[in-house]
Amino acid sequence: MAEVGGTEDLEFKWGKKKGIGGRKKDVQFYESFTYDGVDYALYDNVYLYMEGEPLPHLGKLIKIWETGDKSKKVKVLWFFRPEEISNYLVDELAHPNEIFLASGDGVGLANVNPLEAIVGKCNVICISKDSRNPQPSDGDIQMAEFVFYRTFDVGLRTISDKIDEKIAGTEVKFIFNLPGSLKPSSVHNFSVDDKNASEKAIGTNGRVILSKLNTSEDQIPEEDRQEEQKPVVAENLAPSELQENGFNYKTASSFKVEENSDLKVSSVKPNVSQREKLVSGVVTESGGLAKRNDRQENTSGDKTGFSRNVKENANSSAEKIGHVNQVKFDEKLKSVKDTSELDERPHKKAKLDSSVKVSNDKESLRRPTDPRGTAKNSSNKPKIEDKLTKPTNCKTPAMPPNDGKRTGDKVVAVTRMPVSDRSSWFGEIPWEERMQDAHEQGKLVLFQNLDPTYSSADVEDIVWTAFKKTCRAKVVQQTACSSPHSGQAFTIFDTREVAEEVITKLDKGCLLLPNQRPLVASIPNPCFSRKQSMFAGHLIVDKLKSQREMKEAVSTSHCSQPNTLEYDMAMEWCLMAETSNVFWKKLYEQQGKEIKRVKGNFKSK
Amino acid sequence: MGSAEQDEYAAFNEKVRRTVFLDNLSPLVTESVVRTALDQYGTVKSVEFIPNYLEPRNMPRCALVEMEKQKQAEVVISTLSELPFMMSGMPRPVRACAAVPEMFGDRPRKPGRQLHVHWLAPSDPNAEVANKLKKLVKKHATETAVMLKHQLEKEEKLAKQQGETLKANCKKYEMIDTLMADGTVRRLARRYNLRISDDSGPSTFH
Repeated sequence: MAEVGGTEDLEFKWGKKKGIGGRKKDVQFYESFTYDGVDYALYDNVYLYMEGEPLPHLGKLIKIWETGDKSKKVKVLWFFRPEEISNYLVDELAHPNEIFLASGDGVGLANVNPLEAIVGKCNVICISKDSRNPQPSDGDIQMAEFVFYRTFDVGLRTISDKIDEKIAGTEVKFIFNLPGSLKPSSVHNFSVDDKNASEKAIGTNGRVILSKLNTSEDQIPEEDRQEEQKPVVAENLAPSELQENGFNYKTASSFKVEENSDLKVSSVKPNVSQREKLVSGVVTESGGLAKRNDRQENTSGDKTGFSRNVKENANSSAEKIGHVNQVKFDEKLKSVKDTSELDERPHKKAKLDSSVKVSNDKESLRRPTDPRGTAKNSSNKPKIEDKLTKPTNCKTPAMPPNDGKRTGDKVVAVTRMPVSDRSSWFGEIPWEERMQDAHEQGKLVLFQNLDPTYSSADVEDIVWTAFKKTCRAKVVQQTACSSPHSGQAFTIFDTREVAEEVITKLDKGCLLLPNQRPLVASIPNPCFSRKQSMFAGHLIVDKLKSQREMKEAVSTSHCSQPNTLEYDMAMEWCLMAETSNVFWKKLYEQQGKEIKRVKGNFKSK
Repeated sequence: MGSAEQDEYAAFNEKVRRTVFLDNLSPLVTESVVRTALDQYGTVKSVEFIPNYLEPRNMPRCALVEMEKQKQAEVVISTLSELPFMMSGMPRPVRACAAVPEMFGDRPRKPGRQLHVHWLAPSDPNAEVANKLKKLVKKHATETAVMLKHQLEKEEKLAKQQGETLKANCKKYEMIDTLMADGTVRRLARRYNLRISDDSGPSTFH
C-alpha cells in the first residue's frame, strides 16, 4: 500500500471550464479533463472500473465537476451489456457487440461516480436509423468496440429502439453520434478545449485531439443548460459534503492494510449504492440523498454499514488503492482490446455481470444482516435489494478478497476460452487416444447435468469462466435413449491436480448454470476397448453356416419380406424396441417431474 | 464475424437434416456395409459411428449417416421404419430415425447464445436446493444405467428365446427334409390316400 499516497499524483489536469454551481458556488463544472494521459470530454463513452469485477461498466459522461473539497466527480449515463438485461431481452442481438442505453426513470439510469473510477475510453457507435443520428459508416461500426441503437427503460424495464429527446437530462444530440466523432480511432464525441489540447495533446496512447470543434455557438446553449441544471447541482453538492465522512474512512483504511483489502472487495458496492442512489439522486430529491447518507453515517459502526457507506466516496477508496488497480486494469483493458482486434471475436472477456440487479433477482439474495438497505428500498425496486445485499455477502470474511474463482453470488457471463493452444490440438492425436491418456493420468473429468444442447466449445467456455482453467472438452453424443435432462461432456484438464480441484470445488460448492442446473463433475470410468463381441439379436443357424445363401444374407443388407420367419422375429424386435421407447419416455418424464419439483424450491422465481 | 458463426450453424443444421441416425447396429457393421446398404436410397456422404465410452459394452452401436440430400434421408427413414431392415445379420432389424443436433459431437455453438454461470455461496439458501439437484442428477444417471441394463437383459433374453425357437424350427424342417428324403412321406401319403404330387419342398430359413 506504499504507493497509495502516490495515486493522487496520477496525471490529471482539468480542461475547459464550464460553469459554476452548488449552494456555495464552489462547484466547478468542466467540459474536459486529462487523466492518466488520456483526454476526456463531456459525452465521451468510458469504461468505469468496479472493484472486484473483471469487466468494467460502460457509460457516457454527462457531467463533470469538482466539488468544493476538490473531489472530482463525473455523472455517468449507463449502458447495459446484453447479459445484464438478458431477462428482458427477447429479440436477437442486432450486432454481436450490441449494448443498450439506459433510459427512462429509475435505478441504473445514471449516477455520480468519482472521476478516478474511469479507466479508459470506449468507442461506442450509435447505429440507430433515427434521422437525428448522424449515420456511421461501415468502417466506423467495424472500429467500434460497441454499438447501440436500442434503449433499456430502467423504470419500465422494456427495450425499445426509440430514443427520447432527453435521457437523464442529456439532449439526444449528445447521445447520438456526434458529427466529427465518426472517425476511425477517435473516441471523442466532443471536442476538447484546445488549450488543454495543446498542452496535453499527445496522450500516451498517441491520440490526437480534434480541436476547436467547440465553437461559441455551441457553447451558449451549453451554458444555458448549465443554468437549468443548477438545482441538480446543488444536490450534487450534498454528497460532496458527505465526502468528508468518507475521508475518515479513507484514512482509516489506508492505515490498515487488511482493512484496505477489505475495501477492495467492497468497493464494488460503492458503485452499487451509487446507482441505487440514483433513485433519489437523479430523480432529484437531494433531501433524500442527504438523509440516506445520514443514515449511513449511523450505520458506519458496523461493518456492513461501512461497506455501503463507502458509497459516495466510492472510489476515494479506489483512488487510494487505485493506482495499482488502475494500472493492472488498464493492462487488462488493453489486452481485451488487443485480442478483440486480433481475432475479431466479440469483445467479451472475463466479465462479471455487473448489474446483478437484473440477473440476480432470480435468486434473491436477501441477507438477514442487512435490515437497513433492504428495508429502505424493497418497496420500490426489488433489484436494488439485491444490489445492496450482495455487498454484505461479499464482505463475509469467509470470502477471501482476492480469490477470483469464488465470485460469490455474482452471475458471471460465460466468456470464451482463449483459443491459443486449441489450434495446435487439432489434427494431432485423435480424441479417443487423448482421452485414454488423460484417463490414465487422472486428468479426465466427466461433467453431468449440462444442457444437452451445449456444444463442446460451450463447455470449455463454462470451465474457463468458472475456474479460469483451459481444458479440452467433448460432449458425449446423445443417442436415441439418452437423457434429455442431463447432457454429459468429457473434459481433459492440463494436470491431474486441476482435474481434482475442479471436482472438489464442484462437489463442495455449487456452480449454477443457466436454467438452475448445478454442474456435476466426477471421474468417469470409460471403456475404450473397441472390441465389442456381444451383440444380442443376430442368430446364426449352425447347419446353414457354410451355405452360400446364408453368408450372403449376413454380409448384405436387405429388407425382410413379410412371409418369413425372419420377418416374424424382426417383428418381435420391433415390438421390444417400441416398449423400450415407452419405458424410456416414462422414465425421463418421471425424472423431469422430479427435477421440476426440486427446482421449485429455489427461492424467488 | 457473427454472421460467419451463423452461417456455420446454418450449415450444421442442414447437415443434421440430411442425416439419419441408425441404431441397433451389430459390431460387424462397418462403414462400407452402411454405404452399400443405403446407397440404393441415395448417396451416402459420410458415416460416423457414435463412440460409446460410458454405457455397457454390449450396447448395440449407433451411427450417423449423412446423405447427400434431405429427401434421401427421409426416404431411408421411412423405408427402414416400414420394413425391418437387416444389416450384417438377422433377425434383429436396424432402426433409423432423424438425427438431432445433440447427437453430433462436433456441433458448433449456437450463435448469439450467451451463457451465465455463478457460484452459489454456501450460505445461500438455494445452495441446499442445488445440492439436492446434484444428488438428483446422480440418481437419475443411475436410474438410466439400470434401465439400460434392464433393456439389454431383455434383449438378450429375446435373442436367446428366438435362438431356441429357431433351433426348434430348424429341427422341424430338418425332420421334414429327412422324411421327404427317405420316402416316409410318400409312404404315409399312400397309406392315407393323400396326394402330394406337387413338390412342396422344405422351406428354408427365409
